[in-house]
Amino acid sequence: MEAKDKTGNLRTVTPACSISEDEGLVTVKVEMPGVSKGALEIKIEGNELVVSGNRSPEAHRGHYILKERRAEAFKKFFTLDDSISRDDIDAALVDGILTLKLKVKEAAKPRRIEIA
Amino acid sequence: MDLVKWDSPAPMDLWEAFDGLRGELDRALDPFRIPSVAGLLDQTTAPAVDVLETEDEYLVMADLPGVDKHDLEVSVTGSLLSIKGNKKGERESEKRKIFRKETWIGSFSRTINLPAQIDAGKITAEFKDGVLTVHIAKREEAKTKLIAVAVE
Repeated sequence: MEAKDKTGNLRTVTPACSISEDEGLVTVKVEMPGVSKGALEIKIEGNELVVSGNRSPEAHRGHYILKERRAEAFKKFFTLDDSISRDDIDAALVDGILTLKLKVKEAAKPRRIEIA
Repeated sequence: MDLVKWDSPAPMDLWEAFDGLRGELDRALDPFRIPSVAGLLDQTTAPAVDVLETEDEYLVMADLPGVDKHDLEVSVTGSLLSIKGNKKGERESEKRKIFRKETWIGSFSRTINLPAQIDAGKITAEFKDGVLTVHIAKREEAKTKLIAVAVE
């Protein structure tokens, strides 16, 4: 049994995420349990950062007694504003959590002006 | 019989009834719904679980993103499978600005009543990409057997 909806697509869920900023470094954590590194795709389309990943279909070889896990695939869009550097994005996937580290452009950081 | 939380019906108030219904619908449609009814007196967070039956085993799969393998405890008592653990988060610094927080941290536990025909001696568990998979073998006599009937 493949868990597909009526249109033939995988059941896609928006993953839970957390976004925080600390001194010019924006950390985005996206929970994508069951997604391996190879099934994950991160791309930038214009002003959008798109994260998508499919779960491995290992499960579909019996019948379900209980089914609470909903997602078969994950997809999440983030809008990047001009202050975020597009070239310097760091991504790591550990234990089902994708951590993205984005940098705020130097020009957009608050600048302290020294008093002469 | 399982113990079920007693919900005392207040004197009929239509608005309250609608309010409760809306909350229930919201919870039912929430994709991140964490089933939170685990325990009557010590309620803990319970992860979402799938139980799958194949020809010769049961598979229990639980979504536990961000949980360390060493903080996870899987045990079987009789026909009860228990999954316990602690999801740790990193310490937040004071200066950190939080824009969004949908993830949770803390302890969790989940107990599942397994069918009687399991072989308690043959249980293995693996944890990969934030998903815990427990393989529980069926007893020999519970497996589907193919009996060839000779037709004369």
